[in-house]
Amino acid sequence: MKKIIYSIVTLSLLVFSCSNDDDAFTQPEPLGAYENGILVSAEGGPSSISYISNDFSVTENQVYFNVNNENLGVYLQSIGFNGDKAYVVVDAGTITVVNRYTFEKLGTIDTGLTLPRYIAFNGTTAYVSDWADPYDATDDYIAVVDLTSNSVISTIAVAEGPEQVLVNEDKVYVSHKGGYSVNNVISVINTLDSSLETITVNDSPDELFIDNQGHLTVLSSGANQYWLTPPVETLASITRIDLNDNSIISNIEFPEGQHPGLMTYNDGNTYYILNNGLYSLSDTETSLPTTTLFDITATSAYGMAVKSNLLYVTDAVDFSGNSILTVYDLSTGTETNSFDVGVIASKIYFN
Amino acid sequence: MKKTIGLLIAVCCSVVSFAQTQLDSVQYLDVIELSDIKLKQNAAGFKVTVLNDSVLSKNTSNFTDLLRFNSNIYFKENGYGMVSSPSFRGTNASQTAVIWNGININSQLNGQTDFNTINTNNINQVVIRNGGGSVQYGSGAIGGSVHLDNRLSFTQHLKNDVKLNYGSFESKNFSLITDYGQDKFAFNLGVNYIDSDNDYKYLDSDKINENGAFNNLSLNVNLGYFISEKDVIKLYHQSFIGEREFSGTTATPSKSKYEDENSRSMLEWVSTHQNYKSNFKVAYLKEYFEFYQNKNSEFFTFGQVNTFLAKHNFNYKLSKQVSVTSILDYNLFKGEGSSFGNPERSIFSATGLLQYNPSTNLNLGFNVRQDVTSDFSSPLLFSMDALIGITKFYKVKINGSKNYRIPTFNDLFWQPGGNLHLVPESSYQFDLGHVLDFNWLQLQLNTYYIKSQDLIQWKPNISGFWSPQNIAEAHSYGAEVELTISKKVNNHQFRFSSNYSYTVSENLETNKQLIYVPFHKANATLAYSFKRFSAHYQQLFNGDVFTTSDNLKGPFYSLQSYNVANLGVNYKLLQHFNHELELGLKVNNLFNKLYQNVAFRPMPNRNFNIQLHYKF
Repeated sequence: MKKIIYSIVTLSLLVFSCSNDDDAFTQPEPLGAYENGILVSAEGGPSSISYISNDFSVTENQVYFNVNNENLGVYLQSIGFNGDKAYVVVDAGTITVVNRYTFEKLGTIDTGLTLPRYIAFNGTTAYVSDWADPYDATDDYIAVVDLTSNSVISTIAVAEGPEQVLVNEDKVYVSHKGGYSVNNVISVINTLDSSLETITVNDSPDELFIDNQGHLTVLSSGANQYWLTPPVETLASITRIDLNDNSIISNIEFPEGQHPGLMTYNDGNTYYILNNGLYSLSDTETSLPTTTLFDITATSAYGMAVKSNLLYVTDAVDFSGNSILTVYDLSTGTETNSFDVGVIASKIYFN
Repeated sequence: MKKTIGLLIAVCCSVVSFAQTQLDSVQYLDVIELSDIKLKQNAAGFKVTVLNDSVLSKNTSNFTDLLRFNSNIYFKENGYGMVSSPSFRGTNASQTAVIWNGININSQLNGQTDFNTINTNNINQVVIRNGGGSVQYGSGAIGGSVHLDNRLSFTQHLKNDVKLNYGSFESKNFSLITDYGQDKFAFNLGVNYIDSDNDYKYLDSDKINENGAFNNLSLNVNLGYFISEKDVIKLYHQSFIGEREFSGTTATPSKSKYEDENSRSMLEWVSTHQNYKSNFKVAYLKEYFEFYQNKNSEFFTFGQVNTFLAKHNFNYKLSKQVSVTSILDYNLFKGEGSSFGNPERSIFSATGLLQYNPSTNLNLGFNVRQDVTSDFSSPLLFSMDALIGITKFYKVKINGSKNYRIPTFNDLFWQPGGNLHLVPESSYQFDLGHVLDFNWLQLQLNTYYIKSQDLIQWKPNISGFWSPQNIAEAHSYGAEVELTISKKVNNHQFRFSSNYSYTVSENLETNKQLIYVPFHKANATLAYSFKRFSAHYQQLFNGDVFTTSDNLKGPFYSLQSYNVANLGVNYKLLQHFNHELELGLKVNNLFNKLYQNVAFRPMPNRNFNIQLHYKF
């Protein structure tokens, strides 16, 4: 008898818990106030992070401050996302680890970093590009971070001005924009043995991603050092690289005088902004588009992203007040929404 | 006290209050004793305020504090003792000129003077001249100018002055001044050393001001010798060697360090005759800094500028009413640095000043200046000023001028981003002042309007590098009130002095108030003395400032107003013939208020300073 009662209780518990699970499945517990939205990071100062819900109905500026009642420091360079965590990279030498959905602070990585720029992840390891002393061309490195202890466990010396980092399988790709100077290489680090190869591209490589064809695509804005005597100017380009042998598949150069600084990628198309014109080219095209998709309105376009047929652009305006995030319908070019975001807003992430 | 007031009047209304013969002797003395005589002779229509010994000696902290508490100038200080930049009448730091014994010492690199690299212990008087002064003082004298003067006095005397200070945060200050003079020869020497851990607690937080320690040594030597009855040769020298850690913000720590060495040497020949005076100066100035991003590393960036300067000032008295002055000035600047190569610049300028004093109640000045510069063309500058005595107690001062600020080496040559196509910033201004003077009470009210164009602003260019451009236009207008009251009742002496300023400074494109310009700033000092005892209380009110250009309020957009008070008491332990020993105690930030004058950089909590001051 006892057994039967026991099994009934157990069964009912099971049923109960199952139905409970079903409920949870159909209506998931929200992971935090900042889930299902757009995060915009602003360099500052003061640096800050803004949140805008996917349906644009909820907006909140200074998210990190509101949750943690402290500031991130200057200047917020970028944010990396790994699992349910976000890693906020600040130039002054700290990475703040937060829960990406609640923005509650979980920890900091602040030793072993000098002037960190970008972070990328490979399992429980992260790779952080660091300029070290920006005036010293020879001390730049990639910091290898153990994410379980949030500490820098080793460094890999690289060429001057490492910027964006991207992890693909057991390789880390680093674009060397050159810091305060100009550089023209992509570092390829083998994470298994920390060996290093470099690929030469046009001057000032910055944005990089892997396209749907599996090629590494790099935007180099070209040098434009008009303060030198004589001035130095080189061509900008979009370079596609074969990941198997690091060879260059195509190098599409811009005409003289054109130095695009903003590029993003979405679903088979590369988008870039040049003189407030939006251009796109597909993975297979090997020449630059001759016409714009449409023109955006901005005083100083400073960040861009594309998702679900919408273009997001930040306008830093005068660089000393709030920036504006403007959303455009990608097919029609019409402006659908705009929001006040932080000072010198530079990066747009989808959470 | 009365001496101060007398001096103030003398400065403000140079000619009016004295009969002509007296004036000659006063001017003669000034010519001999002070290097910057234009400040007295050619500034009748300008507001000029003198901070003399008694005010200077009350200030046991830095130059920034002296001016914060005793003038209309507003300061941005990156934490106590760190880089300190002034804003005068709503203008920026490179629009305030600092003049040392008549020559402009603003950095050729960033156009500014860091007020925490100036030590006033070895300075005899600090003079604040409100309003445009580019005709006489060159680039940067837009909002106003601050003058540091050394005095050589040719009377028989030997005075020594030793100060020992010890204060909170392990702050130590030692100062020695020796001043000697006789009929033909005068000499003074000043040595000062400051050292502080500067690790004050951030109120309402568990943090302290880390990486904020500093020390500096300054040396002043001035000599004067009459080679004939009418000719005197003078030598001025000032050296400053400083080492500062640059503290971080409340959010991010810092490991950086800054070392600087500035030296200024000037040789001057003054020849004074019945109808004319000639003054010839040659000077060599050196500014040098090393910046360590990481103080534990050997790697640093540096910058240096050597300035060679020759200046001839010739003043000729055409009649009792009219005098003319010509100034020829040649400057050669040679720079070298990690971030701007080896630029050179030379500036030649010619200036004409006409002073016309048709009656004792009317002083008029007309001044023009033209520069010829190697890098860019400079505008023709002018100024006109008038002092009108309405009644015995009431005078009106009027001036209008065109002034400029030339692009700095950083603006032109900085790598990356320097812009060789910049032109000087230029500004027009008008100033109307009223002076009420009842001997025991002085009240000055000034209203002004400044319009500046081609303002140089740094913003990212298409390549993402910050680069300067002549883009902004701004205007500022406002009012300044200065009140001084002194009263003596038996042995009790009171002195009250106060400044208030209302400042609107707007970007003309957006019509928004510029960042870090408070609408309201006020300060007051009440000093009391009775026999051997003296005390003073200082209060500073600094209104809200915006920290971003949107003119929004809140922790991300503005800094709250603050009130800070200091209290000092002094007692003369010994007063015997020529020996005087005084013990002083000063409490800074008496009410332990948390405040910031630059965002995320708190200023010190309540702190104490003990001073032993021996004069013999």
